[in-house]
Amino acid sequence: MRTVCYLAHCLLNANAKVDEGARCQGVSSPVLALLRDHDCTIRQMPCPELAFGGTSRFWAVREQYDTPVYRAHCRRLAEPVAAQIRADVATGARVIVIGIDGSPSMGVELTAASPEWGGRPDKPRDEDYPVTLGAGIFTETLLDLLSGVILNVRAVGIGQDLFDYDEAKELEKLDAMLGEGAGDAG
Amino acid sequence: MRGDARSRRVVVVPDVVVNPPDGASDRLSDLALSGWGVVALPPATLPAEIVHPLVAAIVDQVIALLDGGYEVALLPSAADPGMRRFVAALATSGRTVADLA
Repeated sequence: MRTVCYLAHCLLNANAKVDEGARCQGVSSPVLALLRDHDCTIRQMPCPELAFGGTSRFWAVREQYDTPVYRAHCRRLAEPVAAQIRADVATGARVIVIGIDGSPSMGVELTAASPEWGGRPDKPRDEDYPVTLGAGIFTETLLDLLSGVILNVRAVGIGQDLFDYDEAKELEKLDAMLGEGAGDAG
Repeated sequence: MRGDARSRRVVVVPDVVVNPPDGASDRLSDLALSGWGVVALPPATLPAEIVHPLVAAIVDQVIALLDGGYEVALLPSAADPGMRRFVAALATSGRTVADLA
């Protein structure tokens, strides 16, 4: 069975990250190598924050992005991605959405949320970044649009936005998901 | 706090670079090793109603990168219909991007 992976934009382009948020210059080579090892088809999702806030935006939490306009922006971006995923699922492929845990937009299992963040951007990016359970706004929108085909779609977050990011552990998690069903006839 | 690892260099590539056919060289891995960030165009075979909004979103992102002072280049692939579509869409915004030297 062919595996199609829909990557958070920044996994191929860390230049889309906020200042001090990038863990590499451009492409996340360990993630790419893993996808190549599993012979995955790669799709790159748009970065909802890049076109919305530009390259000089500060790190933020869900509450700061959670406005009707940003949700409409995410929906506009997610609709063609969902259509592309449906087309891949229709060919018999299994689809894995790979987000960024800790991101207010692209988180899968972990996002960042706090009603207290706001005002002057004087919060350090790492130590007290308020990571919480839940998905980011774009991921939430995309998975909602995919509710009819959700059984054929898995989602996993790479914790690159977490203070205690453990690359080996995150790659192991991704490797395990990519390995599931790899031997299935498709 | 981490430093700023971003290379501030981004190259727009056709889908065939991200998903090379069997036996072809892996140019995406080469770009990764060179520190380029990559913006991947969707497969040219997608229906127009899917590909047009995807390309429009990519144009918006490329404009944000250009406005941020980032170097943006195209992987030379004038024969690729997806690349031609992207270049035309970018041109309607009054922007151009040069081929990767």
